[in-house]
Amino acid sequence: MPAILLQNVSVLPAGGAAGEPILHPLSLELRNARTAVVGANGSGKSTLLKLLNGLVLPDTGSVSIDGLDTATQGAAVRRRVGFVFTDPISQLVMPTGRDDVELSLRASIRNRGQRRAAAEARLEALGLLALADRSIYDLSGGERQLMALASVLAVDPAVLVADEPSTLLDLRNTARLRRVFASLPQQVIYTTHDLDFAADADRVLVMDNGAVVFDGGPREGIAAYRALALGVR
Amino acid sequence: MRRAAGSADLLGAYRPGNSWLHAAPLGLKAGALVVLSAAVLVLRSPAVVAAAAVLVLTAYATAHLLRESWRPLRSMWPVLLLLGAFQWWASGWEAALLVPGNIALCVAAARLLTLTTAPQVLMDGLVSLARPLRQLGADPERFGLTLALMLRSIPFLLGSARDVRESAMARGLERNPRALTVPVAIRALTVPVAIRAVAYARQTGDALAARGIGERI
Repeated sequence: MPAILLQNVSVLPAGGAAGEPILHPLSLELRNARTAVVGANGSGKSTLLKLLNGLVLPDTGSVSIDGLDTATQGAAVRRRVGFVFTDPISQLVMPTGRDDVELSLRASIRNRGQRRAAAEARLEALGLLALADRSIYDLSGGERQLMALASVLAVDPAVLVADEPSTLLDLRNTARLRRVFASLPQQVIYTTHDLDFAADADRVLVMDNGAVVFDGGPREGIAAYRALALGVR
Repeated sequence: MRRAAGSADLLGAYRPGNSWLHAAPLGLKAGALVVLSAAVLVLRSPAVVAAAAVLVLTAYATAHLLRESWRPLRSMWPVLLLLGAFQWWASGWEAALLVPGNIALCVAAARLLTLTTAPQVLMDGLVSLARPLRQLGADPERFGLTLALMLRSIPFLLGSARDVRESAMARGLERNPRALTVPVAIRALTVPVAIRAVAYARQTGDALAARGIGERI
């Protein structure tokens, strides 16, 4: 698995505004196949994830993926780290899933026919080929999220980062997403409020007020989060 | 955010098909569009407009899209009507027919291009067209990406304007004329749309950056 290193990383409020840091100084090494990040809204989960592909840059310290620094080698990092947003409508920029996957492939495949075939292969792999030409607005929430995932996976990233990918999904679609995540060869790091989904991970980070307050196995991590959020064990 | 029907009427989202027009090369369709638009705008003759209208309707029919031909009028008719009335007052009946007719015809013809051409083909075409600009340091792929983002953003913005208007109606603003003076109405409708547009632009930028699209490597 790629080595993701965060060394003494902190993120401060935008524009030098006063207030608590969004992320307190933090050092982590992420090598597990599946890492889940749990925590309350506003605890810094999304900021931590956005650091991993350079969507947010640290105010102190450094973040590197296989030795590539997100601050100075952002474009190279983003070729290795795919990012899935909570709301797939924000992510899908083309009218149909096929067009969106082809957009991801434009940089690597110039020939239109080859690009189309590659897009179809990727959609087929996720069972989405039948929906390829449907407007993204006509897809269900689950289909849309999987389509956004297909667009990100199209460029074969080594790491997949997903920010609450199941938040807008019903039970059936969450189960489908979990199955897809389980089958991916990539290293996957995701945030979630769904504790069953978090339990699929090899490692769980619990965040609170911009700090990682627990780092360990899924069973202990979920217990720590329950204790933190509900005051129960 | 739901899709804005009005924008789909005007822009024409791609309709997959097997007609000769779907199969025709983009260069041929774009060239024909330029020639037709130039002819009706330069010659300014009712006979030319009528002939061009027959041509465009025939093209719609043979592309199995005849029902689509009138859709731009659904969102354009108030503007065309106002324009026609002004032209009739300023220049007479011929101008009142010609000016709105030319505009409707050019929009319908341009819409036929987007209805029968896949977005990826349009992007490839624009990238090819912009390729000579590489000598000046421009990135042709960015031209294609800009086109894709424009096609995606206009429906979003129109849908956003509609949502804001409906949200104002839901709060009863239109039933209280005293509360809705013109400056208040403008502020109530434009500020939320502008804020949503900025948020949308940021989200789209993040989504593209997250996939490394549009970055120089």
